Parts: sequence; structure tokens; C-alpha cells
Amino acid sequence: MSIKKFAVAAYDDEAVLFPAVKKIRSSGYKIHDVYTPFAVHGLDEALGEKESDLHIAGFIYGITGTSTALGFMSWIFTTDWPQNFGGKPHFPLPAFIPITFELTVLFSAVGMVLTFCYLCQIMPGVKKHIFHPRQTDDKFVLVIEVNDSNAAETEAFLKATGAEETNIQIAESDWWYGRFDKKEDYEIQQQLA
Amino acid sequence: MHLKYESTIREALVDGNKSYHQVTEDICKTIESKPTKLWAIGFWTSVSLLLFGIFCVCWEVYWGTGVWGLNRTIGWGYDITNFVWWIGIGHAGTLISAILLLFRQGWRTGVNRAAEAMTIFAVMCAGQFPIWHMGRVWNGFFVLPYGNTRGPLWPNFVSPLLWDVFAISTYFTVSLLFWYSGLVPDFATLRDRAKTKFRKMAYGFASFGWAGSAKHWQRHEMLSLVLAGLSTPLVLSVHTIVSYDFATSIIPGWHTTIFPPYFVAGAVFSGFAMVQTLLVLTRKVLNLQEYITIGHIEAMNKVIVLTGSIVGVAYLTELFIAFYSGVLWEAEAFRLRVLGPYWWAYWAMMTCNVVSPQLFWFKKLRRNVWFTFFMSIIVNIGMWFERFVIMMTLHRDYLPSSWSYYVPTWPEVGFFLGTFGLFFTCYFLFAKYCPVIAIAEIKFILKTSGQNFKDKMNTIEEKTDEHFMAEQLSHH
Amino acid sequence: MAAFAEAMKNGQVGAVLFYDCNPVYDSIHGKLIGDKLASVKVSVSFNERMDETTQKCKVLAPSHHWLESWGDAEPQSGYISLMQPTISPLFKTRSWEESLMKWSGSTTSHYDHVKNYWIAKLGGEAAFDAAIQKGVLETETMPMSGASFSGNVAEAQAKVAAMKASADGQVDLVLYEKVGIGRGGAWSNNPWLQEMPDPVTKCTWDNYVLMSPNRAKKMGAEHTDLNEVDANKKVFKIKANGTELLLPILVLPGMHDDVVAVAVGYGRDKGVGKAAAGTGINVYPFVSKFENGNANYYASNIEISNTGKTYELAITQTHHSYQNDRLIIQEFTFDEFKKDPNELYNERKAALSHFTHSYDHAEGGHGEHAPAAAHGGEHAAPAAAHAGTKTEEDWQQAYRENGTLYPNFESLGMKWGMSIDLSSCVGCGSCTIACQAENNVSVVGKKQILMVHDMHWIRIDRYFANNPTKPDSIQTLFQPMICQHCDNAPCENVCPVNATNHSSEGINQMAYNRCIGTRYCANNCPYKVRRFNWRDWNEADCFDDNVYEDGRRDDINNDITRMVLNPDVTVRSRGVMEKCSFCVQRLQGAKATAKKQGRTMKDGEAKVACQQACPTDAIVFGNVNDRESAIYKLRYEEQKERVFHVLEEIHTLPNVNYLSKIRNANVLQSANPEKVQHGAHTEHA
Repeated sequence: MSIKKFAVAAYDDEAVLFPAVKKIRSSGYKIHDVYTPFAVHGLDEALGEKESDLHIAGFIYGITGTSTALGFMSWIFTTDWPQNFGGKPHFPLPAFIPITFELTVLFSAVGMVLTFCYLCQIMPGVKKHIFHPRQTDDKFVLVIEVNDSNAAETEAFLKATGAEETNIQIAESDWWYGRFDKKEDYEIQQQLA
Repeated sequence: MHLKYESTIREALVDGNKSYHQVTEDICKTIESKPTKLWAIGFWTSVSLLLFGIFCVCWEVYWGTGVWGLNRTIGWGYDITNFVWWIGIGHAGTLISAILLLFRQGWRTGVNRAAEAMTIFAVMCAGQFPIWHMGRVWNGFFVLPYGNTRGPLWPNFVSPLLWDVFAISTYFTVSLLFWYSGLVPDFATLRDRAKTKFRKMAYGFASFGWAGSAKHWQRHEMLSLVLAGLSTPLVLSVHTIVSYDFATSIIPGWHTTIFPPYFVAGAVFSGFAMVQTLLVLTRKVLNLQEYITIGHIEAMNKVIVLTGSIVGVAYLTELFIAFYSGVLWEAEAFRLRVLGPYWWAYWAMMTCNVVSPQLFWFKKLRRNVWFTFFMSIIVNIGMWFERFVIMMTLHRDYLPSSWSYYVPTWPEVGFFLGTFGLFFTCYFLFAKYCPVIAIAEIKFILKTSGQNFKDKMNTIEEKTDEHFMAEQLSHH
Repeated sequence: MAAFAEAMKNGQVGAVLFYDCNPVYDSIHGKLIGDKLASVKVSVSFNERMDETTQKCKVLAPSHHWLESWGDAEPQSGYISLMQPTISPLFKTRSWEESLMKWSGSTTSHYDHVKNYWIAKLGGEAAFDAAIQKGVLETETMPMSGASFSGNVAEAQAKVAAMKASADGQVDLVLYEKVGIGRGGAWSNNPWLQEMPDPVTKCTWDNYVLMSPNRAKKMGAEHTDLNEVDANKKVFKIKANGTELLLPILVLPGMHDDVVAVAVGYGRDKGVGKAAAGTGINVYPFVSKFENGNANYYASNIEISNTGKTYELAITQTHHSYQNDRLIIQEFTFDEFKKDPNELYNERKAALSHFTHSYDHAEGGHGEHAPAAAHGGEHAAPAAAHAGTKTEEDWQQAYRENGTLYPNFESLGMKWGMSIDLSSCVGCGSCTIACQAENNVSVVGKKQILMVHDMHWIRIDRYFANNPTKPDSIQTLFQPMICQHCDNAPCENVCPVNATNHSSEGINQMAYNRCIGTRYCANNCPYKVRRFNWRDWNEADCFDDNVYEDGRRDDINNDITRMVLNPDVTVRSRGVMEKCSFCVQRLQGAKATAKKQGRTMKDGEAKVACQQACPTDAIVFGNVNDRESAIYKLRYEEQKERVFHVLEEIHTLPNVNYLSKIRNANVLQSANPEKVQHGAHTEHA
């Protein structure tokens, strides 16, 4: 639970966003995050984000699936209870391929999706602060953490980079369990303030 | 300065003068308004079909599989025919989402959400058949490899039906995950626009708290790419495994190596036809012609003529090999298909599948919406007959003493109709409460493929090379 | 019977007692007797059932069933047969002998009477006990005496010649008894026999008019390759002996074009029982009288017409013609066989030669697969004591091993095998019923047979060879078909839940309680021998009253009906696949008996039900690995020229072999067309 102060800028167009990001970073500001309604190509590089390792995780899950499938089936057919099915060999590798392949894909997909949800901290019941109601519609929202002293200065700087709207918000920076139809305490407080 | 460039020769994928906000508005409009009368009629008709189907299934489970028209010679009829038909239909969605993503085809964005939903509903419908066709469905869990005190007794991993169990459940799971992970950002859009308390809560849950962070989008893109890479072999393998139900048997007419590619091509063929059926109606009723353009329709028709031709070649190959191989059983199986008691099914199949899709070589017909709709129905009927003809190969196999005939009974037909009820109930719910077009993905291609943006590119295209280069360098 | 009927007519009968006869139903005087019985002062029936005669009697005193009775018989002097009951009487019956004794005032029981009589005759109680145990006493020497014939052949000949032959186009009617139903409908209430497919027509549960294909076509009821599966058969009206009846027709190749035939024993009264009631039409009214009073089961120049109505006939095998290019049955004329007994053997070897050349060409004759002493593992050849000699086993072993990608599982202990001799098989159907009795195979009823849900584990395929439009050219082939217990069973691979696999003794096993009923195994069986429990025939599942949609029960679970079941065999639930198990309960029983006695099982101790019942000993069964067994000798020594397997070329490795049929004819209709044209001496194609 960490309520912080943020300077928020909303841009209309990614053509304006990119130079803004460059300028903000070169001026030494630390960008908390940029929220976009769709995946903007090149934004993560512009923000200096490392490439995700999700695909490596996917690969590892997949290999787990392959070995689980092959190992389990082989153990059953050769050691645990070998049987005579129409004269077929006890280790019918071609017959094992379909299930092995399917389990590889299954483990990889499920594992990756769960890992994705874990890394992005999303889940049914998770709530995060939405800085701008149209950040999932058509606005590109850039957020910088500020304190009381540099708030106004940061806001002015953001305005200068070409943001359509700017404001200061006090919000929870982390995620929490909540419902989107209810207002959180700090939001109510902010409204009253 | 534009971030990505696409030639103006390529048809626009989003017509009209769309901004990002307009895209959101267009697609969310249906969801946020009250259900129309048309929707209500469609939905309640589907629900009644579904209820009738449930009744027919209960009837069969109570009295026994003997209420169906199956017999000692023909153990599979409508049940497995419909299973393969529905699974085949499902493959188009995955192909559109996954394979076209890997091939970087932007036009998939107009149709992929609805197509994937169609896949999931089709797989749900398909899955009903292997479950309820079992003689002792209450013991159906025996197919799962779970520890028990009877040995432990394990299932038979050499059996194609068991491969099916794994394949179908994997396919359903992965398709569901792929579809849903694409839906999360769109649900977030709906959540942030929601006016009522209930919708805010419901879409809030459904969106998992998605906010649109750049890092999250990066991971999301990677997830989509890897899932697409996984789904591509999955599409090919799942229907291959379904074809193994037949190909690994010894029945003449079933025991053939042509089945895996033939089934996969056929699946894509019928799947795209079903997508066309659904989308032609959806775009008209929901006024989404600017997103699901004639270009989209045409592209899908091209896939239909391609896969239809593959299927046609496969049929002709089978006939040729039946003759050329000199194997009595194979030749007999095909002679009986063409001239035997089920000749009418065979000729329906040939007409609908081989002859009719060839009409799509004509551009005018490819771009005609109502002709497409009519053809898509024909193709699906033809593909149903294909699976029926394959199933009916059982009626006359090796020993003539066992030759028999199959006529479906009302519980079987009712079960089949019930799956249409299930499919359309789900589709109507989907069309009402979820975005039928992938909002985020349309926005992703809007600036390169939107009509208005392409028009702006004309001025750049008219510049000379030197002028353009100079301009670009000066911007850096 | 004629005198009795005459007496009845004249009111001269004061009392009549009926035992084991049913004249009201099956006698030509039946109607008369039936009408007059009411006026007879004392009429007693000792019959077990409420049959047509019993219904008209005043006193019903049902006798014991013969399995509940004491008794004796002396068919020929010196040949004595003694009866003893095997079960206490199930119902309130009394043996008719005892009834008569009681009514005559005697206080002795029938048992005492029989016992005392034979003790006296045989000379002591010990002798009686021994006789009862043995059951049948025969004298040492059979009394043979000369026979004389005093009939007037010439007169009979003249009488026959004097009879007018039917003119062309006139139709004659023949009344016959079905082998499963018997005279007077003796077994018309036996559901096993009602459901047994008639050996020639393969029809169950009804009688019908047999008619040739030509006549049927002429009268608007043509039988084609496409409509053969339609159970709706045309109903014809037949008028003979002053009676008009409507009966469905069944087209049978081989019938004379101007002759039709109907089976007697049907159309029983509902008091006779559930199976008999309403099944078929009673055609005894067609029986007429000869001048001398004998019953005439024929009628010439009958009236027959197509009513246009239809009636469903439950036929288990709808395709009748033998497809000459499918070599499912191997057949030879006696001349061919005499000329070259090894023709079949050489043909088989040639067909499989691609896989057996290693054996043919190897030095010493046994190739790389020289039998080693090792018995372990999957790849051991059978322990062969035939080093140095190429035996029949070797090239078959080569096909077994080389004809597949997969390894070879050998049965090193016992290997069960069966041989069915197609020359001996007469298609009677005893094996079908024996199997049904032994293995608790369900009766399903006509409605289910119409849906082709028959349950018989062993069936007899009956084919007609040659042109159906030429009745005289038709030859009939019978082939009993059971689970072949294939070593490379197509069914075992495809079961998803491991409900069917192969035992170490070569039997294809079926685990009923594991089966979930996907039916892939039945689809994959090329012999189509698997049977599925489509509905809850045995009321054994967890759903109540779900056999008939109208809620009727078959009461298979009540105490009396259950007694028909063999306690050694599981009763299968709905949704479970079943098939011939080589009577595994008998095999296990025989092995257990031998084990308890500390010895190996001898050949012939384990007899399967069909083998036991076959009247022509066409079925031979035993342990093929035992070189002294009948089956081994048959397959590899005595009849090796006639051995073949059905669908051998698809490498299912069946454990059932057939012996080729040797037909005493000039020409084989089942041969390939070119062979039929050129006569019997060309090669099989």
C-alpha cells in the first residue's frame, strides 16, 4: 500500500509521444510508466525497457511438458504395466508423439499465460489505478512520480513536450484486490479534497 | 512523420475516416446499447434449440445409445461425423489468429476475434459428441491417466481416441487462452467506458485489472507471438490426430495416409466458410462493414478456393489410387462409395466441395457478399457430407455378411441441432457482451492501413526518391 | 388322431387326457377338436404351458418339466434309459404319472414306483443306483434281425405318376418346420430359438413366405442390392385349403420359381408365453388332408397376390450373395482337391512369399530364425524340435515376423487355437445357441434386431454363390464367424481405456468393467465379431426401468429368470462391448482342476461351448503349443492342405483357422467368373 503523487500527461498521437519520451528521459526524469490503448511499436525500446524473457519461460515449460509426457508414457508401457496391445511394441515411439506434442504445447501455453499474469500482476479481482479514463481508448498517458516540491515544475515541463492534458494525481502505485465499480478510500478523499 | 509505411496499392483495411476514438466507439456501440429485437429473436431461438438438444442427450443417456440408429456394423454415425465437422470448423479461427499473425497479415485483425470465438464455441460443440457417444459416459473419466488402486490401471496411449482426448483438450485450452489474452485489453476499454455499476464490476473482473502499461504490452506482444507459434503446429496436429481416428484403423477407405493433410485442408476450408457465414451476417447487423471490408471477405474466399482445391485434388487422388493400387479392398470401398447405397451422399459431397468453390476464381464472385454467404453454406453442407461419407465407409467393409445401413433417429438429429443451439447461444452472447473485433489490434494497424491514412500517403508516394530521402534525414 | 376326431365329432368321447401334444393347434383335426372339447365331460391337460389345447380343457394338471422328473424309457428292448431330476420342481406341478397314480387310488409316489420296478428288474438297490448314475444301459450285443418290406412300390409309383403336375405359372405351397422352432411350435416360446437366425434365411422372430427372386420380381417385390437392407417386406395374400392368410415374403435365391414355402409353428396363443405370443402367423390351417386321412403339408395351385402392404422382418444378415472376388471362403470341388491337394497350401505360400523368402532360401531350411533354446523375451520362436526340417510352421512363422514392422509376441506356455471345418459345418446354429446359453448372451427382441442390435457371439454367415435368377445354379456356403483372437488384433490398439488386450495365452481379452463404450474396437474389427450392449438388456445399470420406453420390465432380475444365467460369466451392463472369449471361464476351470490335481491340463479337458454343441464336430479347439493336441495335429499334420485363415493377408494373425470346403460338385459357383466359365480345372485366380 503506497500512495504516491504523480504528474500525469495525456498525449493524442504517438508521433508526439515519441519525441516527448526522448526529451523527458534525456532531461533526467524517471518515467513511472506509459499507458497506451494498444501496443505501440518501439515504445518499450524508447523507454529503455529490457526485452522480456517470457519466451524463455515458455520454452522451459514446453520442455517440461515433453519430458513429462514421454517419461510418463514410457514408464507406464515398459515398467509399470506392460501389456500386449495387438502385438504393438512396448515402447511405440511414433504412437507417443501426438500426446507428447500436445502436452508440450499445453504446458508451454498454460505456463506462459500464468507467468504473464504473474509478471504483469493481473488477475480477476486485481485493481490498479487508472490515471486517465481514456488511456484504454485513444490517449497515450505518461506518468512521472513527483513529490510536493517538484510537482508543478514537472507538470509544466510535461505540458511543454506537447501533452494535450496534464494534471497531478495522488494514487496507489501498486495493485490491490478491488472492484472497479467501487471507489477506493483514497479516491474518495481526493475528491473531497 | 509516420512510424510505419504500407503501400497505397494495398487495399485499406479500415474504411472511412477513423480515429482511435472512433474505432472504440464503433465497436463498443453494440455492447453498450440495449439488445435489439433481432438479437433477442436469434438468441432465444438458439436457446430453445439448445434446450431441445439437452433433452435429446438426456434421452440417449437414460435409455442407451441404442436409441440412435447405430448398429453392430456401423458403430459411428452422426456422432463422430458431427464431432469432426465441428472441430474442422474450429480450425479456421486458430489459423486466422495464429498463422496469419506469423505471416504478418494485417487483415486478420478485422476478423480474428470473431473467428477465434467461433473456434472456441465450435470446439465446445465438438467436444459434446465424444462425451455423449460413449456407452457408459459416467465412466468417461477412465480416459484420464490418474492414479488408482486397480494396478494402477492406465489408459491405452496407443489409441487414437486417447490422442484425441489430449489434442482436443489442449486445443480448447490454448485457443481459450489465446482468445482471452487478446480480450483482456479490450475488456479494459469496456470497463473504463462502463456506465453502470454492474458493468464496471463485471468488465473489471474480466479485464484482470489491465491498465495498458508499456512493459505489459511488450510482454503481451511476446505472449501473442509465442502462442501463435504454438497454435500453428497445434492447428495442424489436432486435425491430423482427429484424422488418425480413421487413418490408423484397418478399414478400407479409412486406412490411408492421405487423411492427415486432407483433413487439415478440409478443416480450414469448412472453417473459413463458417467464418464467412458468421461475419457476413455480423457486419451487416452490427454495421461493421468498414472494419470487415470486402477486402477481408475476398481474402477469406481466396483461402476457401485454395483449400477447396486441395480437398478436390485429395478426392481425385483417392479415386485414382483406389484404382491404381490394385488393392481389392480399396477399390471396392470406393466403388461402393460412388455407386453403392450412399451414392447420394458422395455426389452431394463432390458437387458442394469440388465444383462450387472453383467459382471463387472469379473476382466478381469473390467480392460479392451475398454470393459468399450462399457459398459458405454450400461448402459447410458439402464438408458435412464428406465426413458422413467417410463414416459410412463402415457400412460395407471386408465381410459381406455384415453389410448394413444407417439411418439417424430423432435423438441423434436433435443432438446435432442442439449443438447449433449451443454454438449460436454462445455466439449471440459473445456478440452482445464482447467486442467482436479486436479493438486494440485495429488501432495497431490503423495508421498504416486505415483509409484516411492511406490517402495521406499519396502525397508522399508522389515525391521523388531524393526529395523523400532528404526529408527523412532532416527529421533525425 | 383321425379316429379320435371322428369320435369327438360324434360326441362319443366322455373323457380325454392330453399329455405332450397340442392337437388344437397343429393337427388337421385341430379346429374340430377345439370346438368339441367344451362338450367333453372330462378334459384334462398335463401340458406345461397354457397352449391352445390346454386352454380348452377343464382340468389343468401341469406335469413336471423333464428335468424335474423321474422316469424311464425303453425304445428298443434291451436299451434302457433312466431319467432323474436335476432340480426340485420350480412350480406347483406334479408329474403326470403321479397324477394318474393318485387318481387311480394308489398311495405310492411315482419315484417309489419307478425305483421299485427297476430294483426288481435289475436285481437290487446297488444295481439300481449304478444304473441311475450311468443313465443308459445297453446290452452287450445289439439284437439285429432281418427287416422285411412289404410296401407296394409299384402302386405308389403309379399313384404319384397319376397326380397332375402343376402347370407353368401355377404356384405350389410347401409347409415346413424350421430347425429352431420344430413341429407344432415345440420351441416357439424359447426366445433363444426365436432369435436364432434361421440357418438359411437368417431371419428371426417371424415366419414368412419364401419366394424365388424371379417370382418376387414378377410380382412386384424385387430384391436388389440397394433395397436388401430395407426391413419392410411386401405382404402377400395366400389362399390355400380354403384359408386366406397375409404373410410377409422373404426372397430366397435357390427357391424354385413356382414354389413358395412357409414355416409352421408360429402364430401361437398369448397364453403360451411372452416370446411366442404374437410372433408370426399360424399356417396350420393350410394343412389339408390326403384321401387316406394323412396330413398333406403341400398345396398346389394356390392363390397368391401382392397386397402392397409391408411388414418388417428382422433379418440379421441382409447381404446374401457371395462376392466372388473376396476370397473369404476357400472352396474346392472334390475332383480339384484329389488332383492337387496342395493347391490351397501353395497358393497361400505364394501370396505371402514376399515375407517368407528368407525361410525358403536359407540353408538347412530354417534360416536366421533357427530355434534357440532361449525362451525369454518377445522374439523367441516357438520351441521347435524340428531342427533341420522345414515344417509348415516355418514359413508361417516367417510371415508372422516379417509381415509387420512390429516385434513378435509369442505365447510360450499355452496358446489356444480353434479350427472350424467348413466341409463339416451344416449351418445348423447349435453353436450360436450353446454360446448364448454358456455366456449369458442377451436376447434383444425383434424390435432391436430390426435395428441390427443382435448380440450373438458366434454367427453363421451364409452366402449364396451364383446367379440368383437361376435357382438350380445356387450353391450355399456356411461360415461360422467368431472372434478370431488375432495376435495382431486391430481392436486392441484402438481402445482408449485399455479395456481389451491380449493374454499370454493368445486370447483377446475383454474387461467389461473398464469398457466405456466408444465402439472403436467394433469399427476396427474386419470380421465384425464384436457386439455392443446398446440398451440395458439385463436391467443391470443404475437407471431404473429403461429397457422399454413404455416402462415394461423383462424381469431378468427376478429369481426364476435369473436362473438361466451362467454364474461363471459376468452379466454385461449397458454400454459395454462383448465378444467371444473362447469360453475363458471353462479354460480357467480346466486349468484350475488340473492344477489342483498337480498335473498339466490334458487336451480335450477344456472344451468350449460351441465345440461341445456342434453335431458334426466341425469345431476343434485346444492348446496349439501342445504337439499332441488335436488342434496341433489337425493344423500341421492331418489337414494342413485345407488350412486357411480369413483375411490372412492383412496380417491380423488370427488364432482361428478354417478348413477349406470340399464340395461334391462339378463346378464351383463361388470361384472367380472366369473359372466358372472354363469349368473346374483351371487355377484359382
